[in-house]
Amino acid sequence: MIMKLKRWRAMAVMLAVGSCFLVGCAPVSNPALERARSAYERVRRDPEVAGRAAVALDKTRLTLEQAERVWAEQKDVTEVEHLAYLTEKRAEIALATAKRRLAADEIQQLKPQRD
Amino acid sequence: MATIYNSYNRNDGMIWRASARRPLLVLSCLVILITLQTIGCSVTSMPTAAFSRAELSLRSAVEARADEFAPMDLQRAREKLEGSKKAMAAGRYDDARRLAETAQVEAQLAEAKADAEITRLAADRLRQRGDTLRQEIERGVTR
Repeated sequence: MIMKLKRWRAMAVMLAVGSCFLVGCAPVSNPALERARSAYERVRRDPEVAGRAAVALDKTRLTLEQAERVWAEQKDVTEVEHLAYLTEKRAEIALATAKRRLAADEIQQLKPQRD
Repeated sequence: MATIYNSYNRNDGMIWRASARRPLLVLSCLVILITLQTIGCSVTSMPTAAFSRAELSLRSAVEARADEFAPMDLQRAREKLEGSKKAMAAGRYDDARRLAETAQVEAQLAEAKADAEITRLAADRLRQRGDTLRQEIERGVTR
């Protein structure tokens, strides 16, 4: 009976250790990276940006991918936070580019009316 | 004769000593070379390219009238570029690179915002002019 109890206890300990390992292997999130991801997604889904700032959006995606890579491979917090900040700024650039294009389109539409 | 012999002997000794030292010298040179190479590989170099790119973007933003239309972003970019210069002088090359990259993107953002604002203002002016013209026509005022 005591032997059985000991075996159960050993199994419980092993299970606990195993789950700790699993938790350790699971990807740890980085708040700056999360912010960068949501900034990119927000701009990507913005109907005003779609088709008006493709290059700026591409640059945003590439910087985000670089941040994800550095986080997955090196866990270098300083570099990831830096790349995440760059991603957010690039997303803002995409938004500003789209706004400029929108205004330029409006000018094109207004011009024939003026003539 | 004795002196001649002695000098020969001395010369022999010098040659022997020199040849015995040669491998040691070569080995120490090799060690120094390898150490230097390892240091060279591990330490990041001066981020001069990133710094010039940031400077160029800042100048471009100023040309696009970011001073008037996106002063906050331009100021931020200027501060980062200054920080990058200081970090470079202090030998903190990684920090200097990050600050230069940030300055570049902030300057680009300032330029994009200024461009957008200028174009929007032009569109607004055009729309207002069109509106006034239409109103004048509706009122029957012709010039």
